[in-house]
Amino acid sequence: MATTATTHQTKWWSGGKSPFNLEYGKLMMWYFLMSDAFTFGAFLISYGSIRFSQNFWPDPNVVFNAFPGAGHANLPLAFVSVMTFILIISSVTMVLAVHAGHKGDKQGVIKWLAWTIVGGLAFLGCQAWEWHHLITGEHAVLVDGQIDIIGQTTGGNPWGDLVSHDAALAALQKTPHETLISLAHQSNHALTHEQLAALTDQQLIKEIKLDELHIREKGPIAFGGYFYGITGFHGFHVFSGVIINIVMLLMTQKNVFQNRGHYLMIEKAGLYWHFVDLVWVFVFLCFYLI
Amino acid sequence: MSEAMNVHSGVAAAHAVHHDDHGHHEQSFISKYVFSMDHKTIGKQFLITGMVWAIIGGLFSVLFRLQLGYPDQSFPILETFFGHWAKGGQIQPEFYYGLVTMHGTVLVFFVLTAGLSGTFANLLIPLQIGARDMASPFLNMLSYWFFFIAGIVMLASIFVHTGPASGGWTMYPPLSALRQAGEGQKIGTDLWLISMALFIVSSLLGGLNYISTILNMRTKGMSMTRLPLPIWAMFFTAVLGVLSFPVLLSGAILLLFDRNLGTSFYLSDIVINGEILPNEGGSAILYQHLFWFLGHPEVYIILLPAMGMVSEILSVNSRKPIFGYMAMLGSLFAIAILAFLVWAHHMFVTGLNPFLGSVFVLLTLLIAVPSAIKVFNWLTTLWRGNIRFTPATLFAIGFVSLFISGGLTGIFLGNSTIDIHLHDTMFVVAHFHIVMGVASFFGMFAGVYHWFPKMFGRYLNNTLGYMHFWVTMIGAYLIFWPMHYQGLAGIPRRYLDKKGWVSFNQFGELDKMITVVSIIVFAVQLMFVFNFFYSIFKGRKVTTPNPWGANTLEWTTKINPGHGNWEGEIPEVHRWPYDYGKDGRDFIPQTEPVGANESKH
Amino acid sequence: MQHPAFEEVTIHHEHTDDATFKKKVRKTTILLSVITVIELGIGLLIYTMHKGENPNELLVLMFKGMVCILTLAKAYYIVSVFMHLGDEIRNMIMTIVVPLLLFIWFIAAFIWDGNSYKNLRNTYDKHFQETTMPAKHQHKEEAKPVEKPAGKE
Repeated sequence: MATTATTHQTKWWSGGKSPFNLEYGKLMMWYFLMSDAFTFGAFLISYGSIRFSQNFWPDPNVVFNAFPGAGHANLPLAFVSVMTFILIISSVTMVLAVHAGHKGDKQGVIKWLAWTIVGGLAFLGCQAWEWHHLITGEHAVLVDGQIDIIGQTTGGNPWGDLVSHDAALAALQKTPHETLISLAHQSNHALTHEQLAALTDQQLIKEIKLDELHIREKGPIAFGGYFYGITGFHGFHVFSGVIINIVMLLMTQKNVFQNRGHYLMIEKAGLYWHFVDLVWVFVFLCFYLI
Repeated sequence: MSEAMNVHSGVAAAHAVHHDDHGHHEQSFISKYVFSMDHKTIGKQFLITGMVWAIIGGLFSVLFRLQLGYPDQSFPILETFFGHWAKGGQIQPEFYYGLVTMHGTVLVFFVLTAGLSGTFANLLIPLQIGARDMASPFLNMLSYWFFFIAGIVMLASIFVHTGPASGGWTMYPPLSALRQAGEGQKIGTDLWLISMALFIVSSLLGGLNYISTILNMRTKGMSMTRLPLPIWAMFFTAVLGVLSFPVLLSGAILLLFDRNLGTSFYLSDIVINGEILPNEGGSAILYQHLFWFLGHPEVYIILLPAMGMVSEILSVNSRKPIFGYMAMLGSLFAIAILAFLVWAHHMFVTGLNPFLGSVFVLLTLLIAVPSAIKVFNWLTTLWRGNIRFTPATLFAIGFVSLFISGGLTGIFLGNSTIDIHLHDTMFVVAHFHIVMGVASFFGMFAGVYHWFPKMFGRYLNNTLGYMHFWVTMIGAYLIFWPMHYQGLAGIPRRYLDKKGWVSFNQFGELDKMITVVSIIVFAVQLMFVFNFFYSIFKGRKVTTPNPWGANTLEWTTKINPGHGNWEGEIPEVHRWPYDYGKDGRDFIPQTEPVGANESKH
Repeated sequence: MQHPAFEEVTIHHEHTDDATFKKKVRKTTILLSVITVIELGIGLLIYTMHKGENPNELLVLMFKGMVCILTLAKAYYIVSVFMHLGDEIRNMIMTIVVPLLLFIWFIAAFIWDGNSYKNLRNTYDKHFQETTMPAKHQHKEEAKPVEKPAGKE
C-alpha cells in the first residue's frame, strides 16, 4: 500500500500542494454541486413547507398511475420506476466512461458516454410524455357546484378529496351540456360524439358511470407549480448534462483529451451527471413516494 | 504511479511553454484591460464598477433624503432631469419607492458584495497566499462580466417606461408578484429578478474560484494558520456566498414563475383592485424564509471582508501582532456558521410561529459572542501600539467604532419582544446602515487606502484622505444616530410623507439636518473618487516595494507586478504574517526563515 | 504566468484493477436497484393502506420515514461509489459532508413554520378550514362503499 504510506507522511496543509490531493477543477466542481444542492434543497424544502401548510395533499399513487400505451389502466408508480431505472443505469454507464478515461481507453470512453447520452435522452423523453399526459389529462372535478374537466396545470389541480355520490349527482344537474357529453364519452366509448350530442342532459347523466369517474374536488394548486417547477428544473439539469456529455463525446472523438494526456474533464462531467441522478433520488422521494 | 507523475509534469511544461508565448507578445488593450484574466486587473475592474454603482446608489439616497427632509419644498431641477417622476419638482410616490428599492439593491449587492469582496478577494487572495493567479483565471473573468451584465440589466430597468422595481430591496411578494400592484411591479421587477440571477451566477463563479484558490494554490509553507486574516475572511465570505446565494436563486425563480406563469407559490387569497385572484395555497412567508436564508448570510458576506482587512491594517499600522489570531479565526468561523442559523430574526412579526421565533432569538443573540471577541481583539491590538495614523488606519478604527455602535442596537432588534415595537421603523434603518452599510464602507475605504500603492504604484493623497475620513465619520453618526430616536418614536421606514402624524411633526428639523449632512457626506465621497482617479495618474509615486513595512507576501512583489505576480520563483513562507515588534525588530516578513534563537510568538 | 497544470496534486490516485472495480460497480448497481424496488413496494403499500377503511396514520408515517432513510442510503451509495467521494482524503469528505448539516435546521425550521401556518389558518380562517379539510367520513379515497367500483382497481 504505497499510497497509504505517502498519505500519512505528507503534510497536507503546509502549502504548495492541494490539501485534498485534487486538482482545482474537480474541487470547484464539487463545491459547485454543493451549491446546486442548496438550490434544489431550497426548492424541495419550500415544497415541504407548503405541503405542511395544507390540510390536504394528493396521494402520489393516484396522480402518477399512467403508463404509455396502457390506456386507462391503473398502474401506480410504474412509469416513474422506469424513469428511475433509466437514470440509475445511465449513471452506471457514466461510471464506466470515467473508468475508461482513467485507463486512457478512448474507445471505451466513447462507447459508454454514448450510452449515457442515450439514457439521458430517454429520461427526457419519458419526462416529456409524463408532463404531456398530466397537462392534457381529462379529470372530472367538482367546481362551484358543477362538474368541470381539467388537467393538472400550474393553475388547477384535479386531485382533491373524492366527492360523495350524492353530491356528484347533484352537481351533474348543473353541469353544462358539452361537459356532460365528454363525461358520458369517458364512461361509454361505444357511442360516438355525435350520438351523444343528440341526447338530452338527463339521458347523458344516465349514461355517466359516476363510480368509475372518481369525481374529485379541486386539490391544492401549489402541487402543480412545485411538480412542474422542480421536475422541470431537474429536467433542465438533465438536458444540460446531456449537452455537456455530447461536448465531451465530441472532444474525445477529436483526441483533445488524448493529447492532453488525461481524461479529467470526463470525471468532472461524470460528477455532474451523478449529481443529476442524486437529485432525482430526492425528487423521486418527495413527489412520488411520500 | 511514477508514469502518471511524468504525464503530469509533462503537461505542466507544455502549459508553461504555451504561456510564455503569450508573455512575449505585447498584450492588446482589450486583453490587458477589458477581457483581462489577471486577478489584479479584475479586482480593479470590480472596484471601479463598484464605485460607479456607489455613486449611483448614493445619489438615489440623496434624492429621497431631499423628499424626507423637505417634503413640501419643490426642486424644479428634479423635474428637468426626471420628468413625470418628479412632477412639479416634487418626488412622486412611485419614484420614491423606486429610489428606495434601487438604493438598497445597488448598495447591498453591487457595491458591498461585488465591489467589496470582488475587489479585495481578487486582488489579495493570490498576492497574499503566494499564487500566480486565481485557480481559474477564465472563470474569474467570467465572474466579472456576469456582474457587469447584471449591472447593465439593472441599469436598463431604471430607464424602462414604468420605472425600476419598487417593492423594496427585499422584493417581498405579494406586492412584487403582482403586476397590477403598481408601475414598479411591471417589467421593472422582472428585470430586477433577471439581474439578480445573473449576479448570483457571477458571485458563484467568483466564490468557487476563491475557495479553490485558497485551498489549493497556497505557496510552500503557507499553511492555513499562516494565512493573513483577510484571506480567512474572504474564504468564509466565499463559503457563505456559495451556500446561500443558490437559495435566493430558488426564491427568485419561484417569484418569476408566480409573476409570469400563474403559479401560486407565494400567493393566496388576494383581492386586488376589486378583482379576486385565482391563486390559492401559497405562502408569502415562504418567500421571506427563502430570501433571508440568503439575506442573513449576505450581511456577513458584506461584513467579513471588511473585518479581515481591518484586522490586517490595524496590526500593520499599530506595529503589533494581531491580538488572538486563533480567536479571530474561531470567531470568523462561528459567525459563518451562525449566519446560516438565524435568518428568521428578520421575520419576527410576519406571522412566524412565535415559539420558532424564540429559537431564532436565542441563536441570534449567540452572534454577540464572536462579535465581541473580535472587537476586543481589535482594541487590544491597538492597545499600547505604536500607531501610525494613516487614512487607512483611521478608517479601520472608524470601522471598529461603527461596528460597536451598530452591533449594540442589533441586540435590541434580535429580541423578538422589543422587535415588535421597533421592526420596520427608522431604528432598523439606523442599525443596519451603521453596522453593515457604513462599517463595511469603512473597511472598504481602509482597504483602498492601504492597498492603493499595490494596485497602482502610487499613493492616494493623504490630506484629502484625512478630510474624507473625518467628514464621513462625523457625518455617518450625524445621519444615523438621530434615526434611532425617530425609530423609537415609531416613525416607519420607507414612508414618503409622514405629515399625517401630528406626533412626528417635531422631527421635521431633525430630518432637515440629516438631509443636509447626507448631501455633504455624498459630496465628500465624490472628493474621494476624484482623489482615486487623480492619484492613479498623478499621485505620489511609491518608491519602495514595501511602503508600510508589512509582513505579507504582496509586498515582496515588484511595485507594479505583472501578470504572474512574482518574476522568479514564488517565495516560500516560514512564519505567520504578524511578527511585528518582535525581538527588537520592527517587522519580520513571512518569507524570512525562523532564526535559531528567535522567541516564540 | 499561469499556475502549471495540477502541480498541486501530490499523489496520483491509485486505481483499482479492472475486475475489482467492475465488481464494485455491479454490486452498487444491484444495491441501488434493490433499494429502489423496496421503496416502490413501500409506496404501493402506502397506497393500499390509504385505500383501506381506516388507515393507521402512524403506520403510514412510519413507512414514509423508512422510505426517507432508504433514499438517504441510496444517496450515500451514489455519492460514495459513483462519485468516488469515498476514495478521497478524509478532510475532503468532511468539507462536503459537514456543510450539508446545515440542511437539518434548514428543513426543520421551514417545515415547522409551514405546519404552524396551517394551524394558524385553521384557527383563525374558518373558511380555509372548511374548504380544505378533508371530511372525516370520506377521509381517504375509495373509503365509501357507494363508491366502490365493481371489480376495478
